[in-house]
Amino acid sequence: MNEGATNAPRPESRVKRRGRPGRASSGAWLYLLPAVAVYVGFLVYPAVSTLQFSFLEWDGIAPPEWGGLDNFVQAVTDPLLAEAIGNGLLLIVFFTLIPIAVGLAMTALLIGRVQRGTTFYRVVFFLPQVLPLVAVGTTWRWVYSDEGMINQFLGLVGLEGLARPWLGDEQFALAALGLIGTWTMSGLCMMLFMSGAQKVDTSLHEAAAIDGAGPVRQFLSVTLPGVRKEISIAGVITTIAALASFDLVFVTTNGGPAGATNVPALLVYRLAFNEGDIGAASALAVVLTVLVIALVSAIRYLAREDS
Amino acid sequence: MPTTPGLRRPAAAAAAGTAAALVLSSCAVLSTSVREDDTPESVSTGVPDQPVTLRLAFTDDPPTQALVDGFTEQHPNVDIELQQTQFTDYIKTVKLSMSSENPPDIAQYNSGAMDSLVPAGLILDLDEHSEAYGWEETFPTSAMESLHIDPEAAEYGSGSLYAAPGALSVLGVFYNKSLLEEAGVDGPPQTLGGFEQALEQVQDRTDATPLGNGSLEVGGFQIWSSLLNVLGDEDEYRDWVYGAPGASIETEAAKEATGTLTRWAQEGYLPEGTSAVSDIDAQADFAAGDSAFLVTGNWATAELAEEMGEEVGFFLMPGPTGQEPPVAAGSSVSYAISSQTENYDTAAAFLDYLGSAEAAQIQLSSGFMPVDPDAPSESEGVMGEVNAGFGRVIEQESLLPFPDFATPGMVDQLTPGVQGLVTGTTSEEEFLRSLQQEWDEHHE
Repeated sequence: MNEGATNAPRPESRVKRRGRPGRASSGAWLYLLPAVAVYVGFLVYPAVSTLQFSFLEWDGIAPPEWGGLDNFVQAVTDPLLAEAIGNGLLLIVFFTLIPIAVGLAMTALLIGRVQRGTTFYRVVFFLPQVLPLVAVGTTWRWVYSDEGMINQFLGLVGLEGLARPWLGDEQFALAALGLIGTWTMSGLCMMLFMSGAQKVDTSLHEAAAIDGAGPVRQFLSVTLPGVRKEISIAGVITTIAALASFDLVFVTTNGGPAGATNVPALLVYRLAFNEGDIGAASALAVVLTVLVIALVSAIRYLAREDS
Repeated sequence: MPTTPGLRRPAAAAAAGTAAALVLSSCAVLSTSVREDDTPESVSTGVPDQPVTLRLAFTDDPPTQALVDGFTEQHPNVDIELQQTQFTDYIKTVKLSMSSENPPDIAQYNSGAMDSLVPAGLILDLDEHSEAYGWEETFPTSAMESLHIDPEAAEYGSGSLYAAPGALSVLGVFYNKSLLEEAGVDGPPQTLGGFEQALEQVQDRTDATPLGNGSLEVGGFQIWSSLLNVLGDEDEYRDWVYGAPGASIETEAAKEATGTLTRWAQEGYLPEGTSAVSDIDAQADFAAGDSAFLVTGNWATAELAEEMGEEVGFFLMPGPTGQEPPVAAGSSVSYAISSQTENYDTAAAFLDYLGSAEAAQIQLSSGFMPVDPDAPSESEGVMGEVNAGFGRVIEQESLLPFPDFATPGMVDQLTPGVQGLVTGTTSEEEFLRSLQQEWDEHHE
């Protein structure tokens, strides 16, 4: 596919355009080839295949038949999907909004005067990101269980009345699940914001301090604008994690109780691997992708620099 | 990013490449449409003398490893390479590997995978081997039913044989003897009413949960199906699970079974938050003495016996009068042969070995029920009780399939459905309706 590009630069044009940025030469394409091959092989090809499967009636083995838009009609009319998307949107609160707020608060506390122990806190808060979500999910299932740590704590402080099997309670399961997301995502947000805040020129802080700005004012007027890009990136990553969440839900509640924590990716998984309906699963995955792209674009638009 | 003329070209090339990939890959998908021939050319019993290497894909161990070892000990020239995949991933991996260029010779049978593999002709039709070896005589009838499939895999229990059972399982109720004594319950209940009475007594007189359970996975609907099996008509249930035309789960018996489960949940006989408890955690709670009864299968026997010793007992879910012939749900760890293998006779010899008396001892010692029901069993304690209960069920030909066997997506209706029942958000009618809808969609 890069043949046209390698043949493209002719000697005259090479002389004419020498040194201009953004121009491709045959050598550059050769260097890009490994990365392009991996990208096309493992990202573009599966994505294109998914799109293509979404138009087929196919169980993954038997000969596929053309299904047109049937799978999409089935996907968007499935009452479970609307519920699952609703749950995914609610998870954004726990995966994105709260972690960004927590991340900013941590950044405000750790940046500037507190030098000692910063690395320690950074490691501790980032640790959840490093742990595999399957292990995290299993552990949290015990923490939330009827006799788990949270209920034991509630009992110790005399709040037995509030104790409940959190993940087994239809009203609280989604929020309980979301808080696991908060726990894992806050560290990531903090890491991003810290690196952004460290780029801010210290003279800006000094100037603000001379002008009489306290720590809060400094944070709002100097640090916060400085990490605007990082907030946008954190928003994008965590929103995708919320809407496309799968592993965490799969091991903690598997969509239960009674579908209260169904998320779109779980429905995709069930269609593909339990029911063997590759077409419908792919159509659902395409719908989910469109939704994610729409939301992420909205975040990027809201957080753009030049408004 | 500035759009210079130099950048347009790669973009166009990429677009062209993507389009090409789309066209090429659609050819690739649409060309895999030949149904393979799944009948053997000629059949012979016995194992050839020259060295043979077979590959076997499976998920359940025990019993697979021990059975393979037993077989290769008898036939030193046969080498069997094992490929284990954990259960949650097994359906998808076995589907992919059995439909690949170089499939394993033998694969552990799984109805979810066979639904696609049998119609594609990738699984060997065993009718001729079965006749040559006389398998319909050696293997118990009720264990063989679910291994017969019609060519479209729409209906089970009829059509050609596609697998042979390697070890059997049976569902029943384990109980904690000292908790029952503490509750004043005199031995295992003989009737369903007596069971419910015992649950109430445990609740009133002990701190334990009457009926241990985890409904996160399969534990919830195992109670439901056990109740259904003793309350309803055996054949009606079989027809529904095997996909006989016109079968329905919306029966009076199913309503009664569902109602019984909801009543038990409302009475607080099930643990709080059971929807978020996994099966293995429920078993651990039972072993620790936190619950008095636990509905699960013989696969838990060895672990429970080890942890609880003489404290644990087993009985089959009793019927309303206690006089009914014994009935229980169970399944088999079975093995199918790839239609693409050249060594199908050796593979079939392995399947035949599974019904032998030597294999029965291996099956028993790995915590399973023997395929050969006449195999002498000298086990004592809870293992002996499980064996005895199983023997009675096999004698009656009343080993029924699990309900999630009905369609590949049924488990995704059963698990959340039972969670809705026990938390009180799903009505009995809604639950049965959702199961029947899934069934109708699959069998339309």
